[in-house]
Amino acid sequence: MKLAVEARGLRKSFVSGWFTKRKKEALKGVDLNIPEGAFWGILGPNGAGKTTLLSVISNLLTPEEGEILVLGKNLRTHGAEISKQINLSSGHANFLWSMTVRENLKYYGMLYGLAGAGLARKVEELLDQFELHDFAGVRFEELSTGTKQKLALSKCLVNDPKLLLLDEPSVGLDPHVARRVREFIQRLHQEKGTTILMTTHNMREAEILCEQIAFIKDGTIKAFGTPQDLKRSLRLGDRIHITFQGAVPLLSLEMMKGIYGLQVRDSSCQILVDDHRERLPHILDLFISQSVLIHDLSIQESSLEDVFIAFAG
Amino acid sequence: MKTFLLLLQDEITKARAFAFKNWVMTKRNVFTLFEILFWPLVSFLSVGLLAEFAGLKPDMKAFILIGVVSMSAVQVCQLDVAYALLYDVWSKATKHAFIAPVGIRHHLVGSLTVGIGRGGTVFFILMGGSFLLFDFDFTAPGWWPIALFMLGLFLSSASVGILVSILVLTLGNRAEVAAWSLVSLMLLLCGIYYPISILPEWVAVIAKLIPLTFFLEYYRSFYGFKPSFSHVLAKGYLLLALYLVIEIALMKIALKRAKRTGMLLRLSE
Repeated sequence: MKLAVEARGLRKSFVSGWFTKRKKEALKGVDLNIPEGAFWGILGPNGAGKTTLLSVISNLLTPEEGEILVLGKNLRTHGAEISKQINLSSGHANFLWSMTVRENLKYYGMLYGLAGAGLARKVEELLDQFELHDFAGVRFEELSTGTKQKLALSKCLVNDPKLLLLDEPSVGLDPHVARRVREFIQRLHQEKGTTILMTTHNMREAEILCEQIAFIKDGTIKAFGTPQDLKRSLRLGDRIHITFQGAVPLLSLEMMKGIYGLQVRDSSCQILVDDHRERLPHILDLFISQSVLIHDLSIQESSLEDVFIAFAG
Repeated sequence: MKTFLLLLQDEITKARAFAFKNWVMTKRNVFTLFEILFWPLVSFLSVGLLAEFAGLKPDMKAFILIGVVSMSAVQVCQLDVAYALLYDVWSKATKHAFIAPVGIRHHLVGSLTVGIGRGGTVFFILMGGSFLLFDFDFTAPGWWPIALFMLGLFLSSASVGILVSILVLTLGNRAEVAAWSLVSLMLLLCGIYYPISILPEWVAVIAKLIPLTFFLEYYRSFYGFKPSFSHVLAKGYLLLALYLVIEIALMKIALKRAKRTGMLLRLSE
């Protein structure tokens, strides 16, 4: 398996203050193996080290310790070569204020060596792809937040990167614009197979988009896996609420596999299971075999937000 | 050969990107028009009128007008070199420029091209103004001396602009004030309005370390002012070449340091 990012023991700290120096460790030995073509999310509370990690991978920050290979090349020695194949988009989109959307795309295209017909074609393609044609002649300072964000995303595709780093791509966007942005990102990953590493505070977004998630806190990766793996590892599980017709029957539910807990109250009970899709059929079979009548049943899946709270708390 | 041409095209395109940025920002922002027309003209007219009022002899008037015209051209041109970084800092878009596969040479060549255009415009406007308003012929030494003098001025501007960029990358955007103050300091030291021979000895030593001093002496020599040194032009260019090499190396170090300290990211916030 080829790796897009391979990091070993990354450490980074920041020193502030002129006279009394204060040192803050942002990364404390981060290891990371991101396969080519993967879509990874990095979640964590504010100040956890997410943006620092992305900045190190994009060569905007130099780590004090650790080795990092990006697209198979050492970032320290092949930074210029690697920079041709990666790009970054920040949530708070900032570009040259007096330049129009088209001029900004042209400028960044030229920075990646695009010229002439190739540059013009790329700019038009991105304007089309991100539905920016109506704003092509509008200055950056006059754009809405959503359109600025679209420009940020289109800019980071100007060099057809193999590795794309997205730092909170939907922050501050209206829900419908955020949804469009997510669709763009998803399509990009599916159609071009671009490796994507994304930080986000939006758990729903992470759950929809990311195949794997790394939880970072205090500069270290605390957990890693698919959203389902993470829920399992914390035994957060899913909640099945059942209301019976009459009293709660005496059943040996706790003995069943995958049951984390059982709470009974009047004529209802709440069963905590590892995965309701796997356990519910068995539970229902048991009820049917005992001729138990169910009045109401509802399922509450644990969300990535629960995982986030459990890790960040 | 084909690879070489492709590499050359890549280099030119990347340098053109910075020229494109500076050009678009120049034409869209009123303050840049002020830099080309308002401040140089105010400075030129006030100095020229003062010279008239003081009843200076033609050679003294030439001395002062050469100084003020040169200074205005250098100020405008060096700003463009510094703007290559400052526009990104003011837009909080520094990281987008530095994540791209570009080098300091692209910053420098691209921005200096626009700087030469803007500085050259100022130079020729004030040159015409000198002739029309103060009866001073700037072209008297001939076009070759003018070309050599202007080249010296613009390369000096590049040197000042790079120094500003180094300071911004090292100290953060509070150092942007250097973009306007460094040239004023040069005004004091390089003998813009007076010969450096009247400066205290220790200040004159500093003046002799600034290439602009030599270029001014060179051009004034055509108007009867004997240079304080021999081979002024060669010394000016040699000093300038040395500074440019040192500054480019320092800029690389400053960039590495900015990546180490996080300054590059802070300039994007």
